[in-house]
Amino acid sequence: MVGAFEQALLALMIFVIMLGMGASLTPRDFFLALKRPQGLAIGVISQYGIMPFLGFLLITFLPLSDAIAIGVLIMACMPGGTTSNIFTYFSKGNLALSVLMTVTSTVFGVLLIPVILVIYATALDLQIPRENIIATLVLLLVPVAIGMVLRKMNANVGAVTEFLGSALALFFIAFIALSWVPRNWGFLVTTTPATYVAAIGLGLFGIAIGYSFARALRLHPRNARTVAMETGIQNGPLAIAIIAFTFAGEEAQSYMAVPALYSLFIVITSTLVTLVFRRANTAAEQKMPDGLL
Amino acid sequence: MADKDRPWTAFYGPDVRAEIETPAYRNLPDLIRSAADTYGAAKAFTCCLPNGMNGTLTFAQVDEMSDALAVYLREVAGLGQGDRVALQMPNCLSYPVAAFGIFKAGCVLVNVNPLYTAEEMAKQFADAEPHALIIVDMFADKVPEATRGNPIPNVIVTRVAEFFPAMPRGIVGLVQKHWDKSVKPVELAHIRLPDALEAGRAHVAQDRVEADAYHQSVGAGDLAVLQYTGGTTGVAKGAMLTHGNLLMNMEQSMELLAGDMKKGQEVVLTALPLYHIFAFTVNLLSFYWLGARNILIPNPRPLTNLKRAFENYKITWMSGVNTLFNGLCNEIWFLDTPPRHMKFAGAGGMALQSAVAERWREVTGTEVLQGYGLTETSPVVTFEPLGKTRAGTIGIPVPSTELACFGDDGTALPVGETGEIGVRGPQVMKGYWKKPDETAKVMVGDWFLTGDIGVMDADGYVRIVDRKKDMVVVSGFNVYPNEVEDVLAAHPGVVEAAVIGVPDAAAGEAVKAFIVRADTGLDAAALRAYCKEHLTGYKVPKIVEFRDELPKSNVGKILRKDLRAEAMSQIAAE
Repeated sequence: MVGAFEQALLALMIFVIMLGMGASLTPRDFFLALKRPQGLAIGVISQYGIMPFLGFLLITFLPLSDAIAIGVLIMACMPGGTTSNIFTYFSKGNLALSVLMTVTSTVFGVLLIPVILVIYATALDLQIPRENIIATLVLLLVPVAIGMVLRKMNANVGAVTEFLGSALALFFIAFIALSWVPRNWGFLVTTTPATYVAAIGLGLFGIAIGYSFARALRLHPRNARTVAMETGIQNGPLAIAIIAFTFAGEEAQSYMAVPALYSLFIVITSTLVTLVFRRANTAAEQKMPDGLL
Repeated sequence: MADKDRPWTAFYGPDVRAEIETPAYRNLPDLIRSAADTYGAAKAFTCCLPNGMNGTLTFAQVDEMSDALAVYLREVAGLGQGDRVALQMPNCLSYPVAAFGIFKAGCVLVNVNPLYTAEEMAKQFADAEPHALIIVDMFADKVPEATRGNPIPNVIVTRVAEFFPAMPRGIVGLVQKHWDKSVKPVELAHIRLPDALEAGRAHVAQDRVEADAYHQSVGAGDLAVLQYTGGTTGVAKGAMLTHGNLLMNMEQSMELLAGDMKKGQEVVLTALPLYHIFAFTVNLLSFYWLGARNILIPNPRPLTNLKRAFENYKITWMSGVNTLFNGLCNEIWFLDTPPRHMKFAGAGGMALQSAVAERWREVTGTEVLQGYGLTETSPVVTFEPLGKTRAGTIGIPVPSTELACFGDDGTALPVGETGEIGVRGPQVMKGYWKKPDETAKVMVGDWFLTGDIGVMDADGYVRIVDRKKDMVVVSGFNVYPNEVEDVLAAHPGVVEAAVIGVPDAAAGEAVKAFIVRADTGLDAAALRAYCKEHLTGYKVPKIVEFRDELPKSNVGKILRKDLRAEAMSQIAAE
């Protein structure tokens, strides 16, 4: 587990990253995303309709122990987090829409997560720690708002903040992926293939289905990339917090396996998807002649 | 008051002078100084990079820096009046400092396209024989090869983020050096622009020299700019533009806008390169004179590079070419958040297609007005008056400009007859640099023949029907490719279109269209059916070929001659 210092450091890093993300936005971006709320609605549907169902399919068809299955279900019901915003930013998606989707799914989560768990796992009565929900929202909205104000006050301060925030984000992604493996080596070698499939599949299939769903509903590729990232990337730390809050000892440990595995692999999956999305974005760019343009 | 010989003056606004007697300033340095005196502390130039990082210079700063450069060029580099200085950089804060410094030193500015290959640079340097070169570091690696055997004694190197605040300048420098590797080490003797300015300032402090002394004897008839043209048709020719040419054309083009542009209040987007005569005269000189803030974009490709500029600045005017306006109207961010403070836009460089103008109007709610001009005419010859646009025309001649169509025998034709457009006015160049034969080919007395075929309506609106040599003759009927392309481009499934003539057994020549389509479902039959709705039968393309892209010159003009050459070699192979 991470200590209080590491946790504070992590929170600070996310704060700086989100500050940078915020500095890339203007109020007009948010107005636009709100003006066309179909993107948001599609996000909520994919987040709480498609993802839990995907989790349900995975636990139905994969040979998983009960504890792992519960972990998969909890993970599948989580809203998006700042990680989805960061990957949306890097995959040239619609960051304002991404932030709004994260906020919506987090707020809706308080109401919808228990309802969904009633549908898929009658016995499971999760306690959702309000303070974690609030902390998630604060850590998202406060730096984004400050970032936007910085940019408005001085375009250079905004651009430098954005640059530093995104550089830190790249470092953060690399750090998570590289430091996680040695720290959890023992856990990695004892995990069954089915658990891997579930933990990786949840994110990968989530992104793929989210993208296809959004494109089928004729969203612009830029917004479809956003929905894809928001759908597939769940708030792993929130899942871990919920489990720690609801359960104790051995039980809590066994439920946390999937959220922990998921949190590692989603960083790797999303990085690869981001590379694909960026390439697609470049390919779709209009070709302009040299010289006068 | 409409003049009998110049009916178009009836369309001038009430405050527009039909005749501009003499330039308002003796020379360009006087204009530059006067603007700095009037607008001193106001922001003159802001260079905005794709990520929003930017640097700004006020009118007073540009004035002081260009003084320092003039002193450097004359006192340290040892240049004299009339010596050429090549300027090779994309839009950035160094551009106005360098250009104005060259004028203040009494030297002649030679614009060089920074995207030129070393070979192209060498040709231009050999012809212009510059005594100094001011170049951006990104392209300096081509200089040793370009000047082999023909060295340029003074090289001043600058960078895109020059004069930015330290933090963004540092970041841009690191990114260019280590991330995108767009800046290579400069391997030739050179001085950095800020050091050259320091050296100039030191001279001023020490010897009490004044930059104003260098241009005391520079008058309207003296050479200001060597502007090269015709790079795509073989021999590059340097059009000799004088201080008077540029000062007059600046006034001629602004006269028509005078009522709509407010002194000291406009924010102008300069996405077109300043090394091109259109942006040079209109954006750099005219809007500086007007006290506008110029937003300089070093590289507008991809078009998302313009997003931050549109978001961060209240753009009131922009210049562009058909490709740029069309491209912006296809960008999702531009459609989502069209500029809200725009008054209108100016198009030049190539024909503005009516479908593109219409789309721009829909998206932004403002007009895009088309102008027409050439390098040899500094460049503006005609412009559409705001509120009095006429589809398919390039507007009316600007003040103090005469326009007539000439027959093949070199005589002026009556109004209403199609012929080669000739221009007479204070903006017509002095001639081509060291090429009297080339000059003689395009001048008939004091009329400059443009090589464009046009016709003037009885009331003065001018239509370009084509370039002389691009015309297609189908069974004795003349087909002008522009007209057919205009129709094709208006089809929603067509991104771009080019039309040429190819040999045809039955008709002598047939119309062939090359199409870049947006929708792969679009086929030749559907396109021909569409054309039949809009064109007489002989103008409808007989052959339609779909392409992924069309060959273009480095200024974005579609190269019909390349397509024609391809078509001819194809026919020869069959």
